[in-house]
Amino acid sequence: MTTVPLYEESAHRKHTPWRRIMLAVEPYIYIAPSVLLITMIMLVPLVIGLSYAFRDIQLINPFSGGFIGLEHFRTLWTDAAFWHSMKNTLVWTFASVVLQFAFGLVLALLLNNPFPGRGIVQALVFLPWAVPTFLSGLNWAWLFNPVVGPLPHWMAALGILSAPENILSDPSLAMWGPIAANVWWGIPFFAITLLAALQSIPQDIYEAASIDGAGPWRRFTDITLPFLAPTIAITVLLRTVWIANFADLIIVMTNGGPADQTQIVSSYIFTQAFRRLDFGYASAVAMVLLILLLAYSFVIILLRQAMLKR
Amino acid sequence: MASIEIQGVGKSYGAMPVLHHVDLSIQDGEFVVLIGPSGCGKSTLLRMIAGLEGITSGAIRIGGQVVNELAPKDRDIAMVFQSYALYPHMTVRDNMSYSLRLRGTPVERMTSVVSAAASKLGLDALLDRKPRTLSGGQRQRVAMGRSIVRQPKAFLFDEPLSNLDARLREQMRVEIKKLHRELGTTSIYVTHDQVEAMTLADRIVAMNGGVIQQVGTPLDLYERPTNLFVAGFIGSPAINILEGRLRCDGERRSVEIGSGERISTAPLAHGHDGQDVRVGIRPEDVQISPKADGGPTAHVELVEPMGLGTIVHIRATHHALKAFVLERVDYPVGTSISYELPASKLHIFDAMTGQRFPE
Repeated sequence: MTTVPLYEESAHRKHTPWRRIMLAVEPYIYIAPSVLLITMIMLVPLVIGLSYAFRDIQLINPFSGGFIGLEHFRTLWTDAAFWHSMKNTLVWTFASVVLQFAFGLVLALLLNNPFPGRGIVQALVFLPWAVPTFLSGLNWAWLFNPVVGPLPHWMAALGILSAPENILSDPSLAMWGPIAANVWWGIPFFAITLLAALQSIPQDIYEAASIDGAGPWRRFTDITLPFLAPTIAITVLLRTVWIANFADLIIVMTNGGPADQTQIVSSYIFTQAFRRLDFGYASAVAMVLLILLLAYSFVIILLRQAMLKR
Repeated sequence: MASIEIQGVGKSYGAMPVLHHVDLSIQDGEFVVLIGPSGCGKSTLLRMIAGLEGITSGAIRIGGQVVNELAPKDRDIAMVFQSYALYPHMTVRDNMSYSLRLRGTPVERMTSVVSAAASKLGLDALLDRKPRTLSGGQRQRVAMGRSIVRQPKAFLFDEPLSNLDARLREQMRVEIKKLHRELGTTSIYVTHDQVEAMTLADRIVAMNGGVIQQVGTPLDLYERPTNLFVAGFIGSPAINILEGRLRCDGERRSVEIGSGERISTAPLAHGHDGQDVRVGIRPEDVQISPKADGGPTAHVELVEPMGLGTIVHIRATHHALKAFVLERVDYPVGTSISYELPASKLHIFDAMTGQRFPE
């Protein structure tokens, strides 16, 4: 060679087919470890779990394990306990999310105003979030117990209950026990996220509105709520999915009873799998719940995107 | 439209006073600019007039009515913020008509008022856009539109042009001035930019450390600054300030700079021999010439061409001076130059109090 080409050009020309393949594959090699890890610890168990839904797997029956197709889903369709737990899930989720959100918003609005000792109050408010759910479930169960807890006596004194009895053993009221515990435990989540969103609203927009003639209520509806809307949408979505799946408090406080009155779908799955040891049927129920929550999330994400585009 | 009276107004945050006994009366239709360095209390005063800050002492009257206890919405004033403070989730039209909607204005009237304001500000094509799709200058116009639709008693401007680039600032300055001429609404305008103050104001209020330093027309402040602060704050390039000692020689007065050099001054009624003084002279009043004509001499330290003219920095034995000349001169550094400080152009201040000597 008499001329020396530029380094870059020569590098391009020298690529053999093998090297070109290696260059194309290179990025995938970099991400391979994390993809492998995710596949192993998330996708594989998920697929195995889903496959159980189509098999007859009962731990107490050593001869079970065979493929039975859609048999579990046919049973499910006519399982009154499942439909009942479905209804309970709606009540549990709706009441918990609405109350958590309402109290969380009020708390965030209060904490957004400066007052002496705000730092300490903020820290205290976020405390329930740090309490393990198992402990808070036990605590609330005791609070509702007329032998050791004050709540039944207070409620009877206020006329809410006719006698100081344990609402957890009253089939028509039992669901409100875990809901109360769940609301107490989940308020900080909404308070934290909504407070952060509130603090990002520029103060001079409120000042401009008050000069324009808006009183406190119009400032709230015309400025605060529109600013909070995206945060509200995403937090309500997240909480709804979490709460619909959230069986801890119910298992600890009522164990689904009395007479299955507080059984939600996820506690029903727990009961099927670990009490009746029918893994196959539990998987089928879980699959239905998964599909329902996926559909719900999909709808909410579409709504949020439509809202942001507006 | 209304006059605004500020009487003995003070403001303190806890034990920290930020405004001391401010007295100011603003005529109906007047354009008043509050100017001063950051932290001088000018924005606080404006926000007190708007009702966004409480009044610790004194009284503020708008159109003769004491407004101390009135909420901002009941004062019938409009404010333009530095950040524009537009409602990001509302269209330009909704931003402009929000105050009218809150007052229950009929829709037909609202539409006509908003479109009149929009065409006055050149916003017709943008009425259905959201603020985030607008440029800085357009947002600024929307903020002004929001103020004018209501025909308030007064406009308050809080550094409205600070977020714009230099060219746009110049353009908006002219538009604000035109708008004021058209509408004739009483306006109070806060800025730290002395060019804005000089060009816009009927009267300038110079503030420092929570105290009004001087109130007057722009040229008043420029030509007869009442103290060293105002002299130094107004004018660009800044005024030259020389340290010296007053010398009385019968009726004649002169100032001795350093050891020996004397500048004669106009007759002064006050002052005694040997008193410490500061002499101020604007750069455009310093006369320089490259020819030795018997006057004091100095040498050129730096030449700054500005297009419009040239700033020449010169150094004499005891002091340095800036001279502004309209010619495009290009003296090499070190050139010997003779200069003259005309007695009629000198501003003499008491070194102790900083106050101007009465003539």
